[in-house]
Amino acid sequence: MIMNRRSLLTTALTLGAMKAFPGLSYAQARPLVFATFTGSWEEAHKAVLVPAFRKANADAAMVLDPMLSVDQIAKVNAAKANPPIDVMLHDPGPALVAIGQDLVEPYPVEKSAYYKDLITEAQEPMGPAPFFQVVGLTYNPEAVKTPPTSWADLWKPEFKGRVGITNLNSTLGTGWLVEIAKMRGGSEANVDPGFKALEELKPNLAAVAANPGALATLFQQGQIDISPGNFNAIQILKARGVPVEFVAPKEGAIAFKTTIHIVKNSPNRELAFKLIEASLTPEVQTTLMNPPYLIVPTNSKVTMGGEIARVLAKDTAELKQKFVFQDWKKINEQRSAWIERFNREIKI
Amino acid sequence: MGAAPASRDVTSYGMGLAAPLALFFLLFFVAPLLQLLWLSLHNDTTALHWGLGQYLHFLTDPFSLSVLGSTLLLGAEVTAVCLVLGFPIAWLYQRVGPKLQTIIILIVLLPLLTSVVVRTFAWIVILGRQGIINATLQSLGIIDTPLKLLYTQFGVVLALAQVQMPLMTLPLITALGRIDPNLDDASCSLGAGSWRTFFRIVLPLALPGVIAGCTLTYAAAITAFITQSLIGGGQMLFMPMYLYQQASTLQNWPFAAAISIIFLLAVLAVVSVFTTLGRMSRGYGGA
Repeated sequence: MIMNRRSLLTTALTLGAMKAFPGLSYAQARPLVFATFTGSWEEAHKAVLVPAFRKANADAAMVLDPMLSVDQIAKVNAAKANPPIDVMLHDPGPALVAIGQDLVEPYPVEKSAYYKDLITEAQEPMGPAPFFQVVGLTYNPEAVKTPPTSWADLWKPEFKGRVGITNLNSTLGTGWLVEIAKMRGGSEANVDPGFKALEELKPNLAAVAANPGALATLFQQGQIDISPGNFNAIQILKARGVPVEFVAPKEGAIAFKTTIHIVKNSPNRELAFKLIEASLTPEVQTTLMNPPYLIVPTNSKVTMGGEIARVLAKDTAELKQKFVFQDWKKINEQRSAWIERFNREIKI
Repeated sequence: MGAAPASRDVTSYGMGLAAPLALFFLLFFVAPLLQLLWLSLHNDTTALHWGLGQYLHFLTDPFSLSVLGSTLLLGAEVTAVCLVLGFPIAWLYQRVGPKLQTIIILIVLLPLLTSVVVRTFAWIVILGRQGIINATLQSLGIIDTPLKLLYTQFGVVLALAQVQMPLMTLPLITALGRIDPNLDDASCSLGAGSWRTFFRIVLPLALPGVIAGCTLTYAAAITAFITQSLIGGGQMLFMPMYLYQQASTLQNWPFAAAISIIFLLAVLAVVSVFTTLGRMSRGYGGA
């Protein structure tokens, strides 16, 4: 083969361009892209899940691209035929949106070595749940001497002007309202009793935070003493020296499934499956259960330990008994109407 | 667009140099804006059916209109606070020596060098129940129970005024610097008092700066998503949060797009009022 100067230059330029703009090269050559959540999730996945996946798959290239659920859905929607993401992570509400818009593939359950070990609530054929998020009561032990035991404690007169909640933008806010409605005889289809209860809560409300993160900072400022809160987020605050305690109310702690999905038309389908498998292994889930991550595991082979065993559940049986799962299909149907109603009615 | 090559007029100028930026704006500002407009003209969330439904929904809904109204009002309050507090600083800047001038400009610019998120969190610490204000008032025995400052309109206005202050002060400093100090002396020697001099000489001449500062502060204050949501909380709804809720949580993009367009038009209307005032002031100043 004769190479003249021009063809050599063209080749060099092409190679250079492929290096500079990876999108130009073949789709298959793209590393596996996992869109995790930002913040503590990203830290946990970078430190535990990614190394475990690399070790099991001959150092396969992968990229963490942390973003919110809605952004994941928008990005995949914009390029359905050649999605920029291979694996998505979702809260229950957005997961149903992604499934409804035909953005995810069914999980190859029969190929999976760990799927059958998951507790039944985590076995989702469109994408299993490797982690639970748990919502219970959070309180400041310096101000609240007798630990609360029930959601109903938020209405006690002694907490006048001391209660914090979030609006319904978050999974936490919406899930909590549904639970309050259930406590007063409502359901996922009927949150009227929940709104009535909120009306009665108004004298106690010190703050309606814009998101769960903002709610957490209010404990730091002494703005509130008690609120519904996310177990994991509270443990992170506690580790930083903020006086907060988490307790599962006797009605049951609200558990949200965080599900993980293979994106439809992913060019890295096989690696995507392998990454999800890695997230389901008892080893990864055990490491993530321990400090500083304290993420609630879903594999029944994981022996509960530490703070999770102390505060939440000693084993899978107790976990199933103490956790409440909600029907997010029903919730999604009316969520926009609830958000509108919350906007209008909740003014303090 | 460019100057005719035959008779090169030295006072004309070519637009060629602006072309790269114009192209950039066309691609990344005008095109997305048109897409937004296109999206807002659909009645359903999947954007298949054309119609004005989203606009009708907003404009006939008292709640949505009240959100728009409270946002525009918030902007007016913040702008007024910034103007009243910023004008004396700008005026002082023109009267003091160079050493103090450096200090003043540093103080004015300092907030711009810190992230908005950091400044807003600092305000949470200041306004909180056990914050600096409440702690001081309590230790002085002025109040018994802490005042509610965080998550109130007062708190939002205060924090926004501090965050946006440089946008007001800098144009004012420039405008006041252009006024000939001899005019003050002339006014005084002709028998006008300080206030009369201020209202008849300084203020009219500084009006272009006032208008520029007000426009900048106003636009920045009403769109300040971070400060509004962190200090205002989840129950004080302003347009940016309303928009975010519809687009992000509810995935109702056509309605969110319609909210954006309405918000944009409302802001443009306010800004054009400012500009008209500015044009009138020029006539006044020249008179």
